[in-house]
Amino acid sequence: MRRGLDIVMGCVAGGCLLACLTISTGLVWSIARRGWGALSFSFFTEQIALVGASGGILWNLVGTTVLLSTAFLACAPLAVSLALMERVWLRSESMKKALRLGLYTANGLPSIVFGLFGFLVFVQWCGWGKSWLAGGLVLAMSMLPTVTLVVLERMAAIPQRYIAAATGLGLSQSQVAWAVLLKQSWGGLISGSLLGLARAAGETAPIMFTATIFAGVTFPKGVVENPVLTLPYHIFILAQDSFAAGVETKMWGTALVLLGLVFSMSVAALPSRLYLHEESDV
Amino acid sequence: MFENIPCKNIVLETLNLEVQVRERTILQNISLQVASGEILGIIGPSGAGKSTLLRCFNRLSELTPGLRVRGEVRLMGSSIYAPELDVNVLRARVGMLFQEPVVFPVDIRENVLFGARRLRKLSKGEQDELVESKLREVALWEEVRDRLKQPAAKLSVGQQQRLCLARTLAVRPEVLLMDEPTSALDPRSTSAIEELLLEMKSRHSIVLVTHNLRQARQISDRVAVVCLRNGVGQIVEQGESAAVFNAPSAPEFRDYLGQASGM
Repeated sequence: MRRGLDIVMGCVAGGCLLACLTISTGLVWSIARRGWGALSFSFFTEQIALVGASGGILWNLVGTTVLLSTAFLACAPLAVSLALMERVWLRSESMKKALRLGLYTANGLPSIVFGLFGFLVFVQWCGWGKSWLAGGLVLAMSMLPTVTLVVLERMAAIPQRYIAAATGLGLSQSQVAWAVLLKQSWGGLISGSLLGLARAAGETAPIMFTATIFAGVTFPKGVVENPVLTLPYHIFILAQDSFAAGVETKMWGTALVLLGLVFSMSVAALPSRLYLHEESDV
Repeated sequence: MFENIPCKNIVLETLNLEVQVRERTILQNISLQVASGEILGIIGPSGAGKSTLLRCFNRLSELTPGLRVRGEVRLMGSSIYAPELDVNVLRARVGMLFQEPVVFPVDIRENVLFGARRLRKLSKGEQDELVESKLREVALWEEVRDRLKQPAAKLSVGQQQRLCLARTLAVRPEVLLMDEPTSALDPRSTSAIEELLLEMKSRHSIVLVTHNLRQARQISDRVAVVCLRNGVGQIVEQGESAAVFNAPSAPEFRDYLGQASGM
């Protein structure tokens, strides 16, 4: 009876794994098959032309990079501070729980909510209009919970004996935070940021209100009314106009580039995540 | 049970110390003294609160949530719970060696300097000098002088424990607290640490928590026996090592000795 149940459970788990693999492979294959034809050197070095039917995605790539860099620079110090707050300075267990609960809740918020918030605060209240900085900050907010939780996970994996030993030497809380907690959680910051950025790279909703337009701009030269072109918004607009064959190929090509970008960031996060699990076994 | 040490410089003393975890009292009526240049052994069965007591001497007990300490602990006559006292300075003055060696995931040299270079400014030359002198002090210099840049985790457990001792000594403590420092070591490494303790006691007062009765008898000048009485850890006996071991009077201690010799 129990052996039969084991076999059924094994088959169900195997079936689920197979289904996941089939869906992922099918997704990548269908994008790659349709978009491969658009990829060329000029696709990466030329700017958009003929409303997306011609030219390349140079400024979309640059714009996405600008948004992601801004998001990383704004998010990383905040994530580290929040994680240190939870680990070192918050004494009450209920406060720690409240912070974690807040992070998990924020992690589940739809990205369009961050977009609307950014629109109200940065675009309207600050008067920036559509701006790369507004988009970067909105993306930073949307990825902050993910990055903080990964850094927290990394800090929690640091054995308590290191903290006791450093404290026992007479190091202050901030010295322990710097010399022990931060030194040993860089991997978490990097992997968390890459995972957060991989998710942020594909977000369309938060930036369409705040940071991006379809065409007509290159590199931002200021903050106010300085939007950028981006990959996900490019796909979004072309998808609405994909009845023309040339446009369709460009759309799938852009999607393939975005997929490659996201995939490479996830792969880049892999070593530091593996290192985390090796360390926690020590 | 409290025994005043006559005609000696008292470095560390506790008076009616009581420790509670949440509402439960785990240690009470703890009064003891540690004189300059002596080793005080704290012995007793597991779970009696010896390690917790040790952590009260440098307020490392504050890292344990819910733990509350009452009574008095004085270092060189001054209360370590005085509001004006900097707890980090206290911990540098009262160094600690743990049951298992805790080497940081950096190289051997950085491990020695880990506390010292964060607590005071050291030039490159002073750092080199400090590393060599402290590693010599714990008899590790000859073994590691050619691999100071190698990860400390590659050392044997015994070497790691001596490295931890060198790191503690580098911050210039006046008192050394040792929580079963040889329990994870083989006999050879154990005797190396014991020799070091005997050699170091002229420069530092040492409080040694140990389960090893032979060790307590041989290297401690005096011992304090912590046993459970009515479910609470208390000092049931203390005095000169030879006297306490030769004529145990407290029934809890006699039981403990009986159990230990039967093992």
